[in-house]
Amino acid sequence: MGNIIEVKDLCKSYVVDKRQNNILKNVNFSVEEGEMVAIMGPSGSGKSTLLYSVSGMDHATSGEVKFLGKDITKMAAGELSSLRLDEMGFIFQQMYMLKNMTICENIILPACQSDKNTEKREDILKRGQELMRKLGIIDIADNDINEVSGGQLQRACICRSLINNPQIIFADEPTGALNRSSSEEVMKELQRINQEGTTIMMVTHDAKVAARCQRVLYIVDGNIKGDINLSKMTDESQMRDRERTVNNWLMELGW
Amino acid sequence: MIFSILKKDLKRKKTMNIILLLFVVLATMFVASSVNNIVTVINGTDYYFDQAGIGDYIFITMGENAIGAADKVLENETAVKEYRLENVAFGSQDNFTLENGEKVILKNATILQSLADAKLNFFDDNNEVVKEVAPGKAYISRKTMEDNNLKVGDVIHFKQGDVELALEVAGGVKDALLGSTFMGNARFLLSEEDYAILTADEMISKYYSGQIGYIDTDDTASVQEAVSEIPGIALNGDRALIRMCYVMDMVIAGVLIVLSICLIIVAFVVLKFTITFTLSEEFREIGVMKAIGIKNRKIRGIYLIKYFAIASISAVIGFFCSIPFGNMLMKSISKNMVLGNNNGILLNIISSILVVGIIVLYAYRCTGKLKKYSPLDAIRSGQTGERYKKKSKLRIGKSKLRTTSFMAWNDVLSSPKRYLTIILAFMICSLLVFMIVNTTETMKSDKLVYTFGKECDAYYVNNTKAMSAMRGEGKESIEACLDEFTTQLAEHGMEVKASVDVQIKYPAVFDGKNHMLTCTQGVRTKTTDYKYYEGDAPRNAQEIAITQRISDITGAKIGDTISITISGKTDDYLVVGYFETMNNIGELVRLHEDVNIDMKDAGSMMAFGFDFVDQPANSVIKERVEEMKDIFDTEEVFTASEYSADCIGVVDTMESVGYLLLGITIIVVVLVTILMERSFISDEKGEIAILKAIGFKDASIVTWHMKRFVIVSIAAILLAIALSVPMTHLCITPIFKMMGMRQVSYVIQPVKVFLLYPGVILGVMLISSLLTALYTKKIKSSDTASIE
Repeated sequence: MGNIIEVKDLCKSYVVDKRQNNILKNVNFSVEEGEMVAIMGPSGSGKSTLLYSVSGMDHATSGEVKFLGKDITKMAAGELSSLRLDEMGFIFQQMYMLKNMTICENIILPACQSDKNTEKREDILKRGQELMRKLGIIDIADNDINEVSGGQLQRACICRSLINNPQIIFADEPTGALNRSSSEEVMKELQRINQEGTTIMMVTHDAKVAARCQRVLYIVDGNIKGDINLSKMTDESQMRDRERTVNNWLMELGW
Repeated sequence: MIFSILKKDLKRKKTMNIILLLFVVLATMFVASSVNNIVTVINGTDYYFDQAGIGDYIFITMGENAIGAADKVLENETAVKEYRLENVAFGSQDNFTLENGEKVILKNATILQSLADAKLNFFDDNNEVVKEVAPGKAYISRKTMEDNNLKVGDVIHFKQGDVELALEVAGGVKDALLGSTFMGNARFLLSEEDYAILTADEMISKYYSGQIGYIDTDDTASVQEAVSEIPGIALNGDRALIRMCYVMDMVIAGVLIVLSICLIIVAFVVLKFTITFTLSEEFREIGVMKAIGIKNRKIRGIYLIKYFAIASISAVIGFFCSIPFGNMLMKSISKNMVLGNNNGILLNIISSILVVGIIVLYAYRCTGKLKKYSPLDAIRSGQTGERYKKKSKLRIGKSKLRTTSFMAWNDVLSSPKRYLTIILAFMICSLLVFMIVNTTETMKSDKLVYTFGKECDAYYVNNTKAMSAMRGEGKESIEACLDEFTTQLAEHGMEVKASVDVQIKYPAVFDGKNHMLTCTQGVRTKTTDYKYYEGDAPRNAQEIAITQRISDITGAKIGDTISITISGKTDDYLVVGYFETMNNIGELVRLHEDVNIDMKDAGSMMAFGFDFVDQPANSVIKERVEEMKDIFDTEEVFTASEYSADCIGVVDTMESVGYLLLGITIIVVVLVTILMERSFISDEKGEIAILKAIGFKDASIVTWHMKRFVIVSIAAILLAIALSVPMTHLCITPIFKMMGMRQVSYVIQPVKVFLLYPGVILGVMLISSLLTALYTKKIKSSDTASIE
């Protein structure tokens, strides 16, 4: 399989109070198509910044980020928007949705907005409902967003990220605001989606979540300090061993 | 600690606090200026009359033996508490020329008098009483100054017979008795010396002199009976009649009151939204404070101090802005009047304090609800509160709308209360503009011309001819005058039928009560040429038609008989019909053409009317009117619609008021749009960021936000259009009724009301919302991580 993402000498810095803060310092890595990659690191290490820079949500200060061979750092804002809409999916820790729409409408909104998508609205709706059914939240399709639990809302956000059949899903702490059981449900869904062929790149603080991924990157002070390949998880029974491996690896890196 | 929290809050929520500050400035400005103006306008004419010393009953006499006759009657009348008489001379347009030889434009008979002998106070532009005038100089009516573009220092030449005077303009004055739009008579206030030169002339002294009387009384009915015995009465009436003459000025004042009320409503509606909105944003902080153990009282105190501080700063700014803003609004109606109240600034201060009080009270009420919440509830309200309360009203799966249109419609329908504020604000302002446009267009049309006499193709206003005809051989002179016009026009290939209406005051008795009634009769017209809304036209010399106001004054109705003494002969006249007129404020009796009246006694004459025999099209009439201006060497020739506008007199002012209203509407639309959109962006920062993150372009976000304003603006404009006709009937028709009309069929200019004005409002809103919505570009997709 080829690389879906190639990052070369990526730098990101902010100027705060006339002082330059270098958040990412010459980061280099690549992600293969179909991989499920977790980014871990201490608070303020630059995990989210890396995710946003790689996904085109934030501009890199220098360096290259190639998505399917195209350098997104050279793309205009409009092009990047189209890319995010049609080729990428996003899940965030805060489960933001539009307050005046139902859960299902929020899910299908990106498909309705996409110019690439020529489906009729009814077909999009059916597909949205199908996704909800798959993630076990079809019962809340017509609910308002304040009528459901956090876990259900996060699964709805996963549905929204999948509606345009993206090549990759970027997730920033997708289980950060969830309790343990909801967190596990969400991670299982993401694993299943990955197994169906969608690449996933996520930021997490949780070793348990990272253990479900095929690969873990460890970032400290804007540099990737570690990169571990755990191979694909095929069975729930592997979970304990994988978690132990990740924890040991993290301890070696000073976590 | 409290102040530290407060300081941080003011800094952190800078945008919303600035928005609130601006809204309070706006509200204070509107409320303070409006309250002051409402009080001023309501006091309006009475304040002016009191300042001028006009008394309770007024009369003007003219003609032979007029001087001295009033004294004899009034001295013996017990109902008269006090009376003041001033001697005056009368002139007409032909007597006055400018330095360049052009005639001075004077609409009606002109009065010349000595300022030293004046019993009325006249006011200059600064509303100071004019006390003296040097020989060779004259103060003249403000309107005459405007009509002729006169400046102080310009010279006007007066010539009548052998008397010649060169009068340098000393300034313009506001004349409480004759300065109204309906009276419109010019008055020249001369030095004693110059006036003595005038009255030394035998012809002026004998034929062109008269008196103006101002009577103080508590019994106007008895005074009216007494005054009816004074010979040569040209005009008489009580304070109410003079007040009525200002009705058109008061129409504009009325518009100002309605505008002021609307501005107050807009201010409070928007303010309520802003306070509710900003407070709902505070829930989370309040919850946290509760959670860490700060007492309700103290939490409330923090927000009350905050709102009090914002309101106070804004109120001070608003107060200072309210003074020039109020003056700007008043300017349009205070040209002809001395308007004011004794507590002007105080009212502005009280209104400003009132706004602060209302804001603090409202904030107190809103924060009161916090008692009911546990810390957790408050925190949850902060996180979910307003954001998660709404229910989707449309279904995107079934909708054919584009995503941004769907989102805009769905937002408006899901949060109607929020958008209702904008709809209400836009609708009120637009409605006012449309009402004024409808009224102005009606006044400018030929629809009302029948209320000023016979409907003709063209009209010629020539007071000099009218006066000389009246003072000549009566009807014969008037007919000769009409013949002269007819011949003159025939020489230029225009075959016309000329006619004119005259008005004469006659003593009348109905139901045992004496009245002085103004009667009208047409020269070369028939009573059947005029419109009657009930009953019939008088068919013979014993029948008359009356107006509703005459019916109200006398109590006479169709079928009743009124005794009228015409040229010393008293006869009974049967009322057979009602007609509408705006002449003489609707007080008129129409006599049959066979009634033999001495037109030498006529008090006034309307414009000469011309009907073209070949019944040409309107465009031809317009061309001929232009030609007639050259033939008669005057600008005072009008088409029917122009004549109607000229008679009503305030069309120009109404148009100016219309533009002023449009300007204010634009200001309101711009401010409300910017401030509302800015608060929406602040509220929806998270949604905007997430939409950008999932691939919505900046342009889509801007379009979504703009479309919401387009929807509410169109809704507001459609509502305003739908309500414009019934509201015009409701608000403006009563004013026309005061002038003597019964019903008004308004002229609606679809291009103006349905396209031009809505287009301007919509365009302004679009630009404002676009420029404000561009701010969403500053919200980045990566902000999803940092939004609370």
